[in-house]
Amino acid sequence: MGFVFTVGIFGILILFHAAYSTIQYRGLLKITEEEFSGPPFDVLIELFLGLVICIWAALTLPAKFLSIHPHSEDNRVVSLSANVDFMIFNHRGKVFPVATDLKLRQ
Amino acid sequence: MVTKTEETQLNNLENQVDNGGGGAWEYLTLLRKLKLRRSDKALKHGLSILNNPKLRSTLGPDEWTLYEQVAVAAMDCQHLDVAKDCTKALRKRFPESKRVGRLEAMLLEAKGSWELAEKAYTSLLEDSPLDQAIHKRRVAMAKAQGNISGAIEWLNKYLEIFMADHDAWRELAEIYVSLQMYKQAAFCYEELILSQPTVPLYHLAYADVLYTIGGLENLQTAKKYYASTIDLTGGKNTRALFGVCLCTSAIAQLVKGKSKEEKEGSQVQSLAAKVLEKEYKQKAPNKLPQLTTALKSLTLAS
Repeated sequence: MGFVFTVGIFGILILFHAAYSTIQYRGLLKITEEEFSGPPFDVLIELFLGLVICIWAALTLPAKFLSIHPHSEDNRVVSLSANVDFMIFNHRGKVFPVATDLKLRQ
Repeated sequence: MVTKTEETQLNNLENQVDNGGGGAWEYLTLLRKLKLRRSDKALKHGLSILNNPKLRSTLGPDEWTLYEQVAVAAMDCQHLDVAKDCTKALRKRFPESKRVGRLEAMLLEAKGSWELAEKAYTSLLEDSPLDQAIHKRRVAMAKAQGNISGAIEWLNKYLEIFMADHDAWRELAEIYVSLQMYKQAAFCYEELILSQPTVPLYHLAYADVLYTIGGLENLQTAKKYYASTIDLTGGKNTRALFGVCLCTSAIAQLVKGKSKEEKEGSQVQSLAAKVLEKEYKQKAPNKLPQLTTALKSLTLAS
């Protein structure tokens, strides 16, 4: 867990560094009075690397993915809830009471 | 509805609570969430929390929810004095509440004094004519008195106003099935499938009803719904697998002699039979011979 977290932080740092490099590059272009057409190639590689690392860390760090299929082993419905709104008390349990010593103490 | 994960969680918690491992409040919360009726356990463990002032105070406002749950559970177990005490405690805390009024009326129901309960519900309905829970209690009361046709009448009246209430549709379907009025039950299950198309158990119940009615067209539809149940449960529902086999053989018997038999049907049946054999081999190997003879007789009949 700690390792993945560190890698994620590292990826974010790489992204920040890429942004910083681009700003610096634009500053340089202003001095040489050239037109900005895009960041240099090594910054592009840095960006891509940061992106990949961040995606990997973000997918690994949280818990396992859960299935969203209704027919998967976890999600399949095994029984319906008892229809408690229509519960009736006039049943055979009336004749066989359980554990008579229960009492609510105030 | 209860999914497989929730069922395992509930069973684990129940085991833990029954063996004194704590987690009673979590167990009771899960019971409420899943709307299960395990009144004896709810009563026992709920009272153990309520009788312990330290535990009770940690619940905060949820304490009153627990009082209500325990009161209903106590009525279901015929511990009327416990139910009475809980209701009294709630009445003291919420002197004006309709919900406590309903609970008091339910207590009258549990005592068997139907007229008083009826009166109480009527007066509650006068104040709030759209209280669904009270309408449902009246249906349940008619059922408890054995007045099934009255219950159907109340339910139909209720469903005219609250058409989206699937619990009520389910109750009506079950009442119709108990009276063997399968056509009406089928209609209710159609409503249920429309409102909750991903619940396989409604498909299964609908298919059961259609299979019971019989006739070629109904059998074919029943088979389709058994197949959709298999689809929605990932082939884990044994009843649906048997249903497909039975439907296929019944259809084959009906169309025997007539030309143009459907070929694809036999494939579904043989696949279902294969899955059944596999499941039985895994879970109940000593019942396997019975299964094979039963399946053989089905294919012989076709």
